[in-house]
Amino acid sequence: MSTIVALSTPRGRGALAVIRLSGPDAITIAQRMGLYEVEDRRATLTTLTRPRDGEKLDQVLLTCFRAPHSLTGEDVVEISCHGSPAVVRSIIDTTLELGAVLAGPGEFTLRALSNGKINLAQAEAVRDLIAAQTDAAVKQASRQLNGELSNALAPLKEKLIEVIVVLESALEFVEDDLPAPRAEQIEKELLAVSAGVEKLARTYASGRLLQEGIKVTITGRPNVGKSSIFNSLIERERAIVTDIPGTTRDTLSEAIDLEGIPVILTDTAGVRETTDGIETLGIERTRRAMGDSDLVLVVLDGSAELGPPDHDLLIQTAHTRRLVVRNKSDLPEFNHASTSCIAELQPINVSARTGEGLATLRSAILASLNNNGFESDGLLITNARHYDLLCSAQRELEEARAALVVRHSEEVVLAPLHNALRFMGQITGETTTEDILSEIFATFCIGK
Amino acid sequence: MSFDEVFDVIVIGAGHAGCEAASASARLGAETGLITLNLDLVGQMSCNPAIGGIAKGHLVREIDALGGIMGRVIDRTGIQFRLLNRSRGPAVQSPRAQADRMRYRSEMRRTLEATSNLHLRQGKVVDFVLDHGKLAGVVLEDGRRFSTQAVVVSTGTFLNGLIHTGRRTYSGGRAGEPAAIELSEALKRLGFPVGRLKTGTPPRLDGRTIDWNAFEPQPGDQIPVPFSFATDSLEQKQIKCYIGYTTEQVHDAIRANIAESPLYSGKIKGVGPRYCPSIEDKVVKFSDKSRHQLFLEPEGHDTNEVYLNGFSTSLPAEMQQDLVRMIPGLEETRIIRPGYAIEYDFVDPRELGPDLQTARVPGLFHAGQINGTTGYEEAACQGLLAGINAALYTQRLESLRLRREESYIGVLVEDLIKQGVDEPYRIFTSRAEYRLALRYDNADERLERYGRELGLVGDSDWERFNARQERLGRLRAALENVRLRRSDAQHAAVSALIGSDLGDSISLSQLAKRPKVTADLIASLLPGELKPVAETDLNSVLADSLYAGYLDTQRAAVAKLYQHDTLKIPRQTTFRRIAGLSNESVERLDRARPLTFGEARRLPGLTPGALSTLLAYLSAQQKSL
Repeated sequence: MSTIVALSTPRGRGALAVIRLSGPDAITIAQRMGLYEVEDRRATLTTLTRPRDGEKLDQVLLTCFRAPHSLTGEDVVEISCHGSPAVVRSIIDTTLELGAVLAGPGEFTLRALSNGKINLAQAEAVRDLIAAQTDAAVKQASRQLNGELSNALAPLKEKLIEVIVVLESALEFVEDDLPAPRAEQIEKELLAVSAGVEKLARTYASGRLLQEGIKVTITGRPNVGKSSIFNSLIERERAIVTDIPGTTRDTLSEAIDLEGIPVILTDTAGVRETTDGIETLGIERTRRAMGDSDLVLVVLDGSAELGPPDHDLLIQTAHTRRLVVRNKSDLPEFNHASTSCIAELQPINVSARTGEGLATLRSAILASLNNNGFESDGLLITNARHYDLLCSAQRELEEARAALVVRHSEEVVLAPLHNALRFMGQITGETTTEDILSEIFATFCIGK
Repeated sequence: MSFDEVFDVIVIGAGHAGCEAASASARLGAETGLITLNLDLVGQMSCNPAIGGIAKGHLVREIDALGGIMGRVIDRTGIQFRLLNRSRGPAVQSPRAQADRMRYRSEMRRTLEATSNLHLRQGKVVDFVLDHGKLAGVVLEDGRRFSTQAVVVSTGTFLNGLIHTGRRTYSGGRAGEPAAIELSEALKRLGFPVGRLKTGTPPRLDGRTIDWNAFEPQPGDQIPVPFSFATDSLEQKQIKCYIGYTTEQVHDAIRANIAESPLYSGKIKGVGPRYCPSIEDKVVKFSDKSRHQLFLEPEGHDTNEVYLNGFSTSLPAEMQQDLVRMIPGLEETRIIRPGYAIEYDFVDPRELGPDLQTARVPGLFHAGQINGTTGYEEAACQGLLAGINAALYTQRLESLRLRREESYIGVLVEDLIKQGVDEPYRIFTSRAEYRLALRYDNADERLERYGRELGLVGDSDWERFNARQERLGRLRAALENVRLRRSDAQHAAVSALIGSDLGDSISLSQLAKRPKVTADLIASLLPGELKPVAETDLNSVLADSLYAGYLDTQRAAVAKLYQHDTLKIPRQTTFRRIAGLSNESVERLDRARPLTFGEARRLPGLTPGALSTLLAYLSAQQKSL
């Protein structure tokens, strides 16, 4: 097994940088660079030197973590050095000269995984954590990192194994004097497991939004000020804004943080009949972005009469989750009392130019998501693979229940139950036949 | 080196594995020597006088379909037949029979003696002769040397056997028979990792001293289901077994004397089977149970001996008599042979390939308890496979390998060679992922072709098989094509019977899946030219259609779960170089050298983490290609 090294803090200049070494030679390498006293989990101030020429590299804080009580389960040395790219490079180069190799992406996590320091769900959480864009997403990833998903699944899996044990025993040990399985009782237990799995799976709707960001698309006919609203919401000039209708020809996306919830805001080309090829293409993308989004902002020009394109859009988006935004409230022509048919849609009046109404718009975006049962507290499934596995498990559980209801023989009920267990095992680790047999022998007195 | 006799294949030990091995090898044309310590005890049942049971009965059917002999011998000597799990689905039903222990032995010996190329020899093998690392012969204790190209070792509990009763221990392979100590040493010299397992057996009673009225009789089936597809009718007069129970008094007495049991005094080091616990284990581990079930199983027509099933013990012999007499109905009973525990050597089955040949010594095959299994049926199916492959090896032909998707034998062999054992391995239906497809009644459809291709299935059996296949084909077509229509005379009656309207038209196969529809009802609706229909034929066809839907979803689910299983692991892969794999995982992978991710997934001791690391690596390799 090699000893790997990597910079653990972001690249670039900072006050401090942390370099991590992990593997059998981690401590030896640190010693050869100037660590005199190896004391487990105690930071030591020392000056690192390059053994080749005795060159002093930096004054650093070194902390040793002896295997297996470390992040990766191997010997780990953490070097806190000054955050200059040159210093970092010279320290890493020296460890390489002393036999370390550069860590591949995610290699520290992989080692932790294979040394049993974390489980698969936790490893995936590490990846989510690194990729997380906002506070709420970080909170979710760290909950999974702490094994909360495995913990939430564990009691469900245990209950499922109990059911399997009872049914298997009835099949395998007919000659033993075992209590007969009680179908009603088992039905009740399966229902509880299935409901538990389903509840977890359902959190994915919110979890996915947290992890991937909520997709909000701004749409409207040309020149109603979509790009201005986009720029105001992201708080910088990203989209080019002109008075010429059809300036925005392609979709533009930017991630923003709305009170901890990641939002991916997409500005689109205005929808209108056009003969311009490029613009047609842009409009096509607009439609696609709308179909793809969690929320659509339909922007109207409050200073002008609504035209057929506006009505078309309102009809098109009638069944989509949307907010109607009336822009240009700063203009004298702006009609603050909108017509009755629009008023029903509870439009939000804003001025992208002055910023008036933008705060209301932000809270309306959040509120509309919360209306949909969005929650950022509690454990949320944020990983598509987990969601898929939970759904598959739940389907199998329901199939087993259906078989049980019509009093099919145990082997028919068991086939989907074993599948469900395998699906759950893909998240928490497999349950083997041996495990189940052990459980049977611990539960029942078997054997003629 | 000079040899006294020349064979192609030598089988050491004539128990259930050895008999199948020798029979198969000889019938495949190899000059086969079957060497046993005592020729009068060929095919001896060391423990209970019974064959079959859940999953075990499946194995016997598979042995029979491949052309093995166990099923035929038990059909000729069985004295009580029962199909277990009759109230459940066909996939988990399985035949079981009580055997006349002595008649089973003599019928087995008669069968072997009637086999050409098969030579029975009495003697004790003490060493192997190797030539350039390959097997060349065996050495007997009496000085004889036999030349051979292949050896099947099927020594059962004889391999360095040590018998325990109370504090007394003595060397032996079975009560009253010597152990094979030198052979175990010879295997160790060859470098085989040898471990220790334990099993036990209950006392045998004098039937004349039992108050039979105190027990509940358990008769056999009215219409017995035989083991062999070739058996039409049974020969032996059928008997009853009897069920009784222990009492708290028995339990208290055992607990009071538990220190006398070698299991609890620490004398026994070997691991015993959890599904076959001694009575000591039962009362200690399940102290809340007020009674444990016992079976009184008569040993045969020519003896008074009765097997006390459920009362396996290694308590001192003199104590066993008193304990037995506390059981209601056995107050006056005398023990003919006391129960005992036995420890014996086994060789790590991970030394074997799927043909049951050792990787260490070409030409050396292991079968039965030496591989860590327990049970006559488990032993026999390994013996059959090892015997077939030993003969094929000497003929330079490709070996027979069975997959776990197609047979319980495949499940057993793969479990053994991939996962090893840490307690005696017994087959269970739950070990088979495709349990619904592996039925006792379709073993012929699954395996008989292999037996025929090898040459183990004779002409008359092959004709019978083909005739049945033809009948099943016609029945399947009829179930799909024959419809019960509203205009049919029986429509109203059938609707009334099952309590719901059948609709205007329903095929017999759909009808069969409705609740309350019996096989008899379907049989009555079949067209005249198919009548009378054989019950076994109809049951097979109905079972296929009963499970078809579940098997499809099962396959889909497993395919989804194990979608990466076919991912190839290139031969030149250096596991040591895969970042993130622990040394232990690397060692396990290096030892097993899996060729696909699926093979790696089934390796013992690889953590989910190590597997995902491997998967990540393999997927990355795949993409970079």
